[in-house]
Amino acid sequence: MSLPAWWTIDPNQPFTLGPRLYPGRIWTASGCFAYGLTGHDIKAAGFTSPYQGLGAVVTKTVTPQPRAGNPMPRLAETGLGALNSIGLENVGFEEFLATTLPALEEQGVPTVVSLAATRPGEFGDMAERLHGTAAGFSHWHGVEINLSCPNVAEGGHDFGRDPATVSACVRAARRHLPDRALLAKLTPNVTDIAALATAAAEAGADAVSAINTVIGLEVDLETGRPVLPRRFGGYSGPAIRPIALAKVDEIVTRSGVPVVGVGGIEDYRDALKFFALGAVCIQVGTAQMRDPFAAARISRDLTRG
Amino acid sequence: MTDLSVGPAVSCDAVVTSNEPVSSGLIRLDLELDQSLTFQPGQFAMLNLDGAGSLVFSRPFSIFEGAGRRMSFLYRIVGRGTRAMGNLTAGAIMTFLGPLGRPFPPPETGLPVVLVAGGVGLPPLAAWLARRNDSPEHEIHAFFGARDGADVPWDLLGDRWSVSVDSLRDVPSGRRAWEGLVTDLAAAQGDFRDGRTRMILACGPTPLLKAAARLAEARGWTCWLSLEEHMGCGYGVCKGCVVPVLDPARGPQARRNATCCQEGPVFNAADLAWEHNEHPDLSRADGI
Repeated sequence: MSLPAWWTIDPNQPFTLGPRLYPGRIWTASGCFAYGLTGHDIKAAGFTSPYQGLGAVVTKTVTPQPRAGNPMPRLAETGLGALNSIGLENVGFEEFLATTLPALEEQGVPTVVSLAATRPGEFGDMAERLHGTAAGFSHWHGVEINLSCPNVAEGGHDFGRDPATVSACVRAARRHLPDRALLAKLTPNVTDIAALATAAAEAGADAVSAINTVIGLEVDLETGRPVLPRRFGGYSGPAIRPIALAKVDEIVTRSGVPVVGVGGIEDYRDALKFFALGAVCIQVGTAQMRDPFAAARISRDLTRG
Repeated sequence: MTDLSVGPAVSCDAVVTSNEPVSSGLIRLDLELDQSLTFQPGQFAMLNLDGAGSLVFSRPFSIFEGAGRRMSFLYRIVGRGTRAMGNLTAGAIMTFLGPLGRPFPPPETGLPVVLVAGGVGLPPLAAWLARRNDSPEHEIHAFFGARDGADVPWDLLGDRWSVSVDSLRDVPSGRRAWEGLVTDLAAAQGDFRDGRTRMILACGPTPLLKAAARLAEARGWTCWLSLEEHMGCGYGVCKGCVVPVLDPARGPQARRNATCCQEGPVFNAADLAWEHNEHPDLSRADGI
């Protein structure tokens, strides 16, 4: 294992993002490590836990109300990628705030809370409640607003495609988050992602996470119908890494907004590609599902001996 | 639900020591792990190929046998992942994450147990039966169903299993098989009319599981089923393998999603909401 000469960052050195000091630059992506309370007891040689070396766990997106999610099947593997249509199944914001976030604080898991909503005002309401309840928590570091989950029923796409809507959502949340980093997770299913990053930053986002899943569809040849009951899913995994790298590059070069790189990262070499383009930190998504230690390994492998 | 304490799961590499057919449809995979571990019958492991050939998602397999660093599985080639596994030879490296999930419960004293396994559903019940070899006081009736005589792994089954086949074709001379559904065989040979309560454990295709559940329900017996679902992670993080279960805490009609990988794969049949394949809460999805 050899790290390139240009790599001078210690991924476990605390760094500043917006108003907050984060413990490290290797995070897990929303939806791929549940609420950060699962898998603590899984063992692997050389690691104390799958959470070793993680700068943050971005928790599974919660919505104002609990959601049952989409019908099965929810997953379809296609070559080097995977389609998912989970449908934002989640315990709901109130349960998350009452039970999950305090448990994360107690366990010392560095946490970024992922939120989704149907109206900009709901982001503000949830941010206000978060601040009211958890402002004193030392392991809650920020909020990532999910503007781009493409696999839910009624037109989630448009939410993150319009700069004015992105701006309204970010502004609503920013007002109530004086001392936590605020990130906007952007959809790649747009022609001008840099404009969205600029809109998010001008509305007060400290960084953008790029990218969310790519809209995809798989057909079952036996039935001639889409594999997923809702037809479309979010495509992720190594197949989308070049797309993610291109979008990160667009944002960095055209908007200058700090980027959290995410999309198809499986190992430290993949992670380095995002850092090479200027990402401030990275998230591990689909690879975390295959290997609970994927992010922990990347953190270890990016650390000079 | 019964809670059984199980040891922590391990993520490690494994070397293939053997990967050979045991019947026309079933292949036995023997692995030697980097480290020793213990499992409970009904638990599974997520297996994957190593390196460039690795699959985006690992695949779940019930553990058939295991002691120390050795771990064995039975599988059938059904798709891209198992096809790739079928090509592995001794010495190949795989990745292993396990043991995972909720196992079958142990027998209760004095309660006869009926095992119903269909095809590739054999491993968890064979593992459960193997644990009882040291305690012959338990009354156990084991039934295995396959497509035909060639599909039956006769040597693995030994003499403790009664066998049914869809077709009597290729049943070797000296072997006994009954033509028909394995659940019918269990009902016919299980001698259920003595009024005694029994426990049914089943693993196999969904029609088999439903038939086993009906057998038990009609008699008021407990029935534990090992379910098979496509899984993304196997350890409860992705919500890709949910099963609708009853949620009596929220009311008699209430349903909720249980992860097959973490709350299962073994479920009490009485907890399953079989008839609800659609999720009722979708009708009030909030439009995201």
